[in-house]
Amino acid sequence: MSADQLPYHVADISLAAFGRKEIQLAEHEMPGLMAIRAEYAPSQPLRGAKITGSLHMTVQTAVLIETLVALGARVRWASCNIFSTQDQAAAAVAVGPDGTPDDPRGIPVFAWKGESLEDYWQCTEQALTWPDGDGPNMVLDDGGDATLLVHKGAEYEQAGGVPSPAADDPEEWRIILDRLRNSLADHPGKWTRIAGNVRGVTEETTTGVHRLYEMSRAGTLAFPAINVNDSVTKSKFDNKYGCRHSLIDGIKRGTDVLIGGKVAVVCGYGDVGKGCAESLRGQGARVVVTEIDPICALQAAMDGYQVATLEDVVATADIFVTATGNRDVITAGHMSRMKHQAIVGNIGHFDNEIDMAGLARWPGVRRLTIKPQVDEWTFPAEEGRAGHGIIVLSEGRLLNLGNATGHPSFVMSNSFTNQVIAQVELFTRTGEYPVGVHTLPKHLDEKVARLHLDALGVRLTQLTKEQADYIGVPVDGPYKPEHYRY
Amino acid sequence: MPLMAGLMARFADQRPFGQLAIAACLHVTAETAMLVRLLRAGGASVGLAASNPLSTQDDIAAALAVRHGIAVFARAGVDRRGYYRHIEMALSEPPGGPDLVIDDGGDLVNTLHTQAAALLPRVKGGCESTTTGVIRLRRMAAEGALAFPVIAANDTAAKRLVDNTCGTGQSVIDGILRATNTLLAGKTVVVAGFGACGRGVAERARGLGAQVIVTEIDPVRALDASLRGFLVLPMAQAARVGEVFVTATGTCDVISAAHIAVMRDGAVLANAGHFDTEIDVRALAGLAAAVRHDVRPHVDAYELGDGRTMLLLAEGRVVNLVAAEGHPPEVMDLAFGIEALALAWLAGNTDKLPAGVHEVPADIDAEAARLVLATMGTSIDALTPAQQAYLESWRIGS
Repeated sequence: MSADQLPYHVADISLAAFGRKEIQLAEHEMPGLMAIRAEYAPSQPLRGAKITGSLHMTVQTAVLIETLVALGARVRWASCNIFSTQDQAAAAVAVGPDGTPDDPRGIPVFAWKGESLEDYWQCTEQALTWPDGDGPNMVLDDGGDATLLVHKGAEYEQAGGVPSPAADDPEEWRIILDRLRNSLADHPGKWTRIAGNVRGVTEETTTGVHRLYEMSRAGTLAFPAINVNDSVTKSKFDNKYGCRHSLIDGIKRGTDVLIGGKVAVVCGYGDVGKGCAESLRGQGARVVVTEIDPICALQAAMDGYQVATLEDVVATADIFVTATGNRDVITAGHMSRMKHQAIVGNIGHFDNEIDMAGLARWPGVRRLTIKPQVDEWTFPAEEGRAGHGIIVLSEGRLLNLGNATGHPSFVMSNSFTNQVIAQVELFTRTGEYPVGVHTLPKHLDEKVARLHLDALGVRLTQLTKEQADYIGVPVDGPYKPEHYRY
Repeated sequence: MPLMAGLMARFADQRPFGQLAIAACLHVTAETAMLVRLLRAGGASVGLAASNPLSTQDDIAAALAVRHGIAVFARAGVDRRGYYRHIEMALSEPPGGPDLVIDDGGDLVNTLHTQAAALLPRVKGGCESTTTGVIRLRRMAAEGALAFPVIAANDTAAKRLVDNTCGTGQSVIDGILRATNTLLAGKTVVVAGFGACGRGVAERARGLGAQVIVTEIDPVRALDASLRGFLVLPMAQAARVGEVFVTATGTCDVISAAHIAVMRDGAVLANAGHFDTEIDVRALAGLAAAVRHDVRPHVDAYELGDGRTMLLLAEGRVVNLVAAEGHPPEVMDLAFGIEALALAWLAGNTDKLPAGVHEVPADIDAEAARLVLATMGTSIDALTPAQQAYLESWRIGS
């Protein structure tokens, strides 16, 4: 049997029992997904759907996968990041709620923590390769890697071959091209067939949505896409409430420092920065915000935060958090001027907000790993200043994921309920979504929120017919215009 | 004022002040009127003077005199001489002098000892309502000058919380907003003093979106402010960046000429402390090339020679009473309820207390809080006998 035909590939299938317990705990914190199961399982709207998912293989994702299965879908899964798999969750999903490690009855999952890049793209291809030789008819993507592989495969098949990488192409691109080259040789026409069968993709995150809009503009998008990221109940919840929760969790697990009384600098006051600033202040820190956008800067000032430049506070603050979405926000030069034992971390998506490469190149700097994801970098003594060390969390990568466990289940329940509803929409009403990038209609966004109210004991007020007419909305919503900012 | 309303029936029944004369020096407001009526219901005759030349609500004073037969000596805007004359008149009502006194700031007790010492032998004791007064009384007691026991009615856990932190915190902000109509969001507000009052002001200013800087002389309170996320600076540094200044320290010259010299143009100066000494108004006047009074009600613009203008609120007097309406009734209900309960307890126990400053007995504080909770419809747990035994025993561990 070749590697492509294994029923699953996980780190340790014996972790399934532990993973199942965590899944059961998560189910209670994911009321939206559980309500969707109760509502739709009887009608099996995803019967006939063959879904390939590429999304962090965590405990919360396991609840998503099993919801898709409960609605009638067949599912194959890979993670969308080489480090993000929780091995116990992958094992539990492979075994399934009714199987055992010796008799697994779950879904084919190809994911483990610490994949190589070669492993990663092999896992992605395995998730896209169904035993019947066909591909999926639905894709659920996070970052767009599954969508990219299908599109590039089909493109090169039509072009008659895979190009050679250019000398300055990233290493990962060479690995992708190698994989497609082998695939085209072994299974000619495979990717064109898959691209033709896929009814649509639902995309989880900003980066993937950005790729989809680019393909749509270029006319190369092969099937319709739903942008789940821009549902209010996804982006606001992930960015603001998720980061508000997990930022201080990561800082505390990493350092156990008392936050009360510290000066914390939050770079960027978008949704993520707002959540970060609020949680740091709530712990008693004095928060200073840096911004480049005058609107966000004014918002921070009106919320009572000092707004300064990083240069103003770099030598006096205790904690630095980047949340900008931009590169080189904290440079090695900044870090060289920080207080001894200043804490530096990033909660933005990519690892380029803190210049880690520049830090490593600093003359005489030494790195001491305190524990995983916590490093002390010591600068050499210089004229007028003894050597000082700074604490860098998660090597400058997302510290809420690296030092803690990322978004909690309740936040992910909002994201993933959007995903399931988007899958049902695209699969059952394919004709209403032409090729292009769509967002979920507002009444479905409102539905996702509604499904989470009961669990919090929220009692919603109902508009009267007169009140609804007065503001010109239906009694049952949608209540806000598309441009409303919440 | 449900607490005092409830006590009204109790006092009318028990008459704890039967045949006693009480001289009171308090802000003459609607809430004070309720306290005075409560003392009357308890059997006292009352002479009342104002504890601040600007804070008297003249309609209330008139109603007390006409409708309730209280000997009131108070008028808004009275000068310094008239102010002390009013206190002396309250002390001489009835002619033999009071049996008990209630003070707010210590001016009545001070006048009694310095200007009307002949009346002292009859005085059995009193209550002091505010922190400033308690500080003065402790100094008097330390010098052996205090002739009778005084209960520091200000200084109970319940009152510190509700009156100082919540009441002063809210009404100082109210006074600043009414006087200036300035948006606090985004402003830098400097709060001098992080006691119960200053903390209340600082927290509420932050709640409105201000960046708050705290100044302190007490390291424990400064640490408290720091751990609550406030920037703590010496006033010399805070003066340079602040836009609104609030003093809540109980001491003098907190904002001095040197501070004013470095302040930003348009700085707002407000005092939340009892006396008008916290901001050095004389120094401010000395620095001013011109003063434009009442550019808005309770706002005087001091134009300094260098082109900067300082905005002084309420002439540097207690801003929440002058520019707003003082504490909301709920706060004064508790404060005066405690004071009335304490004074009633004192009336029956004067022989047990030596001259000096005394705490409010803890069970009186608890009783007042319990009565207020009942009026709010809030129920609380009671210790079970087993829990009580556990707390009282050192033999039982885990």
